[in-house]
Amino acid sequence: MKKVLIVDDSVSMRQMVGFTLREGGFDVIEAEHGQDALDKLKGATVDLVITDLNMPVMDGITLIQNLRAQPAMKTKPILMLTTEGLAGKKEQGKAAGATGWIVKPFDPEKLLQTVAKVLP
Amino acid sequence: MAMPETLRGTLSQAMEEIPSKASPAPETRSDLEGEVARYLPQMGRMSEQLRQTSKQIEESVVGVCDSFQGIAARARATVARATGFLGNEGQSVSGKQSFEGLIGACSGTLVKIMNTTAEAGEISRRAIERIEDMDKASQQISDALSQLDQITNSNRMLAFNARIEAAHAGSAGTGFAVVAVELAAATVKSRAVTAQVGELALNLRALAESTLLDLRRMNERDSERVEQCRQEVDTSLRDLQAAHSEMAEMLNGMTADGALLATDIGAAVRGLQFQDRISQRIGHVIEDLDTLSARLEKHVGNVAPGEAAADDGFSAYTMQEERMVAGLGEAESSAGDVELF
Repeated sequence: MKKVLIVDDSVSMRQMVGFTLREGGFDVIEAEHGQDALDKLKGATVDLVITDLNMPVMDGITLIQNLRAQPAMKTKPILMLTTEGLAGKKEQGKAAGATGWIVKPFDPEKLLQTVAKVLP
Repeated sequence: MAMPETLRGTLSQAMEEIPSKASPAPETRSDLEGEVARYLPQMGRMSEQLRQTSKQIEESVVGVCDSFQGIAARARATVARATGFLGNEGQSVSGKQSFEGLIGACSGTLVKIMNTTAEAGEISRRAIERIEDMDKASQQISDALSQLDQITNSNRMLAFNARIEAAHAGSAGTGFAVVAVELAAATVKSRAVTAQVGELALNLRALAESTLLDLRRMNERDSERVEQCRQEVDTSLRDLQAAHSEMAEMLNGMTADGALLATDIGAAVRGLQFQDRISQRIGHVIEDLDTLSARLEKHVGNVAPGEAAADDGFSAYTMQEERMVAGLGEAESSAGDVELF
C-alpha cells in the first residue's frame, strides 16, 4: 500500500484529504506543519507528500526545499494543496521542487486521479 | 497590512455609533482619543470572538467528517459481508460457506441421494428379473418332473407286464421276474423322489411369486417416491436459486447505492472545505483587527488610570461563550443544558 504524508495546519483539511486518500486505498500519515513533517519523516519513507503552503513554524515552500535536499525524497512527488492562487507563489513552489499545485477546495475524485498520475 | 473595505466600513460605522449610544459626543481630539482608548479592549475581544467562532466551525466540520468516515466504513463493511455471503468465492467473511456455495453443495448432495436411490431401484428391478427367471426355471423343473412321472408310469407298467410274462415262462422266467420286481421297486422310489422334488419346486415357485409381489410393490412405491422427491428437490433448488438471485440483485443495488454514497460524500467533502476558506479569511480579518488595534493603541495609548474600559454598546451577544469573551459573562445556561420551570 502506497504511503502518503499530508501536511496541513488545519485539522479538518488533514481529515478530509486523509479520508479521501484512505478511501482510495492509500496509507496516510499526517503532520501539522513543515517541521512536524520533517520530524515524522525521520527514519520513515513515503511515496508522496501533499502539503499546504501557509503554515505556522515552517511553511510549505521551505518544507519542499528541505525535502528535496534529502536523497530519499529527491525524486518523490510532492503536491501543493493550497487556497493560494497567485502565479508568483505557484512559481515559488515549482522552483522549490513541487510536482504539482492543487487549489482548494479540492474535488476528491480529481485529487485521487492526480495522485494516481504522479505516483510511479 | 491592508484592511478590507468591508471591515473599514464596519469599524467607521461602529465608531460613529458608539459615542451616541455610550456617551456624549467628544468635543476635542483628546476626548476622541480617550473614547477610542476606552473602546480598544473591545477590539481584542472581537478578535477572540472570531477566533473562537472559527475554531467552533472547524470542530463541527471535523465532527461531520468523522461521521462520513463512519458511514463510508460501515457501508463498505456491509457490502463486503453481503458479497462474501452471496458470492461464489466459496467462503463468506465469517469463514462460513457462502450462500451460492451452500446451494451448490446442497444440490450436489441431493443429486448423490437421487443417484443412490435410482441405483437401488435398478438393483431391485434386476432382482425382480432374476427371480422371474428362477420362477421360469422352477416351471421348467415342474414340466420335467411331469415327463419323469410319465416315464415312471411307463416303467411301472413295463415291470407289471414283465412279471406277467415271467409267470407265463415258468421256471425259465424266474430271473426275468426278479428284474421285473426290482424295476417295480425302483419305479416306486423314483415316484417318491419325483413327488418330493415336485413339492420343492412348488414351494420355490410360491416363494418366488410372493417375493416378486413384494419387490414389485416396493419398486413401484420407490419409483413414485423418488419422482416425488425429485420434483420437491427441483422446486426447492429453484426457490433457493430465485432467493439467491433476488439477494444478488439487492446486493447489486446496495453496491450501486454505495457508489452513490461515495459520490455524495465526495461532494460533501468538497462542500465542507468552505470551512478552511472561511477560517483563513477570518484569520486574515483577525490579523487586520490586531494590527489596527496595535496601531490605535500606539496612537491613543491605553485607558487612562481610574477610567474603566467601555463595555456598553455591545449587548448583541446572546451565547454564553461570546458574552464571556465580551466581558459580560455571568452564571448562565450553556449549550445542551435543560431547565424545566
